[in-house]
Amino acid sequence: MVRPLAVMMRLSNHPLRLPRLRTYVPGPSDPKIFWFNSERADIVQAVVRRILERHEADESIELIVNDAAYHEVRRLEPRSDEGAHRRLEYWRGIIRRIGRMSSESKQETLREITERMVQDVAGNFDPRVYRFSARVVPSLLTGVMKPSRLVGSLLGSSKLNDLVESEGPLDKLRKLQNKGTLVYVPTHSSNLDSLAIAWVLYREGLAPAVYGAGKNLFTNPIISFFMHNLGAYRVDRRIKAQLYKDVLKTYSSILIERGYHSLFFPGGTRSRSGAVERHLKLGLAGTGVEAFARNHARGTNRPIYFVPATINYALVLEAETLIEDYLKESGRARYIIDDDEFSRLDRWIAFFNRLQNLDTACVIRFGEPMDPFCNLVNDEGESLTPDGRAIDPVTYVSRRGSVVVDHARDAAYTRDLGRAIAEQYVHSTVIMPTQLLAHVIFRRLVRATPGLDLFSRLRYRGEIAIPVDELLPELGRTRDALVALEAAGRVHVNAGLRRAKPDRFFERALAAWATYHRRPMARRMGGALILEDPNLVFFYQNRLRDFVLELAGDHPAEQRAAREIVAMGEGGSR
Amino acid sequence: MSLPVGIAGGGGFGRALALAVARAGRSAILWSRQPREFQTQQIRTTAALADLAAAELVFLAVPSPHVPAVARQLGASLDGSHLICHVSRGLVGEDLQTLTELLRRVTPVRRVGVLAGPLVARGLAEGQPGGGIVGTLFPEVFESVREAIAGPSLRIYQTEDVVGVEMASAFVGMVAVAVGYAQAAGFGPATLAVLGTRAMAEAVRVSAFQGAEERTFAGLAGTGDLIAAVAGDGRPELALGRALYEGKTTSEAAATAGAYVEGIAIASHVVAFAKRHSIEAPIAVAMRELALGKASPRTIVADLMARPARGE
Repeated sequence: MVRPLAVMMRLSNHPLRLPRLRTYVPGPSDPKIFWFNSERADIVQAVVRRILERHEADESIELIVNDAAYHEVRRLEPRSDEGAHRRLEYWRGIIRRIGRMSSESKQETLREITERMVQDVAGNFDPRVYRFSARVVPSLLTGVMKPSRLVGSLLGSSKLNDLVESEGPLDKLRKLQNKGTLVYVPTHSSNLDSLAIAWVLYREGLAPAVYGAGKNLFTNPIISFFMHNLGAYRVDRRIKAQLYKDVLKTYSSILIERGYHSLFFPGGTRSRSGAVERHLKLGLAGTGVEAFARNHARGTNRPIYFVPATINYALVLEAETLIEDYLKESGRARYIIDDDEFSRLDRWIAFFNRLQNLDTACVIRFGEPMDPFCNLVNDEGESLTPDGRAIDPVTYVSRRGSVVVDHARDAAYTRDLGRAIAEQYVHSTVIMPTQLLAHVIFRRLVRATPGLDLFSRLRYRGEIAIPVDELLPELGRTRDALVALEAAGRVHVNAGLRRAKPDRFFERALAAWATYHRRPMARRMGGALILEDPNLVFFYQNRLRDFVLELAGDHPAEQRAAREIVAMGEGGSR
Repeated sequence: MSLPVGIAGGGGFGRALALAVARAGRSAILWSRQPREFQTQQIRTTAALADLAAAELVFLAVPSPHVPAVARQLGASLDGSHLICHVSRGLVGEDLQTLTELLRRVTPVRRVGVLAGPLVARGLAEGQPGGGIVGTLFPEVFESVREAIAGPSLRIYQTEDVVGVEMASAFVGMVAVAVGYAQAAGFGPATLAVLGTRAMAEAVRVSAFQGAEERTFAGLAGTGDLIAAVAGDGRPELALGRALYEGKTTSEAAATAGAYVEGIAIASHVVAFAKRHSIEAPIAVAMRELALGKASPRTIVADLMARPARGE
């Protein structure tokens, strides 16, 4: 008998590929990723070779294999399924035998383990799935938003175009994608991010990018099918083995070296606090620096451009789970959430239904592209010094005239790059009406509760009433301060927010919150607005964390409240 | 043949660095606005900053207010292959921006670092046994500094806590002014010890906000440097503190000290930063009040001693 759950599990672990009668031959104008399948086997072997080169000595192999076996045994032991049992036996066998193996056997074992890991990580790219997705997915999303539009949207009039805006140096990016490899490094606040950015790349005539997706995203067989066939590679954060981390980094580096445009979320995980990430470790994105050095060390002159971007939502699908996770001290270690709103269809429908009432649901703003050494680049792809001179980026990986691959140096460049990207995040942030309203409400809460800590304040449910006739002028004044910051190049303001009268964006933001979130965030009673869910208000206001002092008016109590918000903000970096 | 070491700045410390380079068997190019004479052929002087591009490692040894302008001018001749190590104590503006951060912003050089610790010009020039610490993320900056100046009489250590080294170094400059002031006021060693220790605790509190590590303040860049200052290595900061106690204005006191002292400016920046981030910084506040002539030693001491004592 066929067991549906077993089939689902099988499909999520081994995504379907469509049969093909003859090999697809990419055309000259096809993006690089269209060549992926013809290079896949070669890429897998290149990763295996590079890992083996790093572990030539017996002791080194023993160490890395033992580490992998130890971590895999720990991971698999609590599981009771048959597959886990088989894998457990395999790893225990390795632990028993590795010390007695000959050098050749050790190398063979390392090769076998590495190849298995790379095969699990490596994706697939099917141009048919890509074209199908590009045509149908926006329509389906629009259909979810409003079923009556499904037919029209399938015929081509998708509302997604209006709902998702894209800003920034798009012409420059279109030029640069033909000169070198683009590494997109956006902010991360929702599992919808990869869909939103993939759609925008397609719409703006930018080539698709390969993407390392968390394995939890592959649990849904349909999403898994699309992810797997659109070049995404699988990153299983539960695997702690150093060898696995090396495999991921090497795979990512080799893709960039070969010119595959790539997408990484350098914050690593979705921002739990709602704030734009401030401290970036870069992780896999850092392999772009190594890829640059390796290419030039072997004489391949292929530039690499990092493209920061902010993804700004009026509503965040998983806001409730994320902020709860952030606020729970124990939750800070809960790295992978697989039971949030993203996996629940009813929350999707409620979410998209809310979006259709907004002028703009999401703004993706691309920042200025940089070389791996934080230098901005011009339209021709040349790196520029602060005084505007064109500079050869190869000098950064040269020492006394020779190009050198140096991991310690590249780790330092990567940290610098993380800082530069985080800075671009701040002034590429696009403030949405929901975030501004949340900030003004939260500032009122802080004003009303001087000296309390964050958690005491968050207990004020239904106790803070703000007269609407006071709130609207404060909203208008804070919006004007935000527009002044925009004029100074510090931040961006959503066009609807910039133009609208305070009462209009107040009502729209309130309506957007009202039916999407399970608990009302704030409700009107008589002439006042009552704060009902300080947690969510805190989540949305955190997006303005870097501008709080400048947005405060002259009133001493407002300024004090702003300082208190700044003081509580340091923990909001994740 | 090894490349020469560049030194931007012909003041006391810049000249001492040039001599240390020569002692280590390397050649140096020293940029100075004023003509400088040396007894050795290994040191060449120049009036053109662009000449320092011939070096791989460049020490930036100008007073911190001049760092932005000199760095911009120097940066126009450099590229990604150069390394810069600065030796200044300053922090820029009320955001307490470090000078390595400024170097990254105004020059194309990314491999940057800071040399700090109980190094004084005279000891360095004469080759007295001593040591310093290089804060850098880049191993080649540390190696190059060590190759350039380390030797039998000079030990150079490294840390990746660049912010910690720069913050500690700047704070020691401020604390040294306070110590000079307290010495002139007649306070004994125990009082000076409490002042110095609590001031460094304040430095740690403020610097943690910038990502500095606490342990760096217990090392050469923090406590080590402060011990040297209090032990009387002839720091201008102490002279400035003493002059302030004698009732001189800030500019008169600076003239008495005979060198540019960043301590007072840092106190003002720290006060603004601490206020913005709700951090307690009573000693920086006291320093600023004293410098502005807004408080007397008696009221300052009374205020500091009246503060509630808590766990250390």
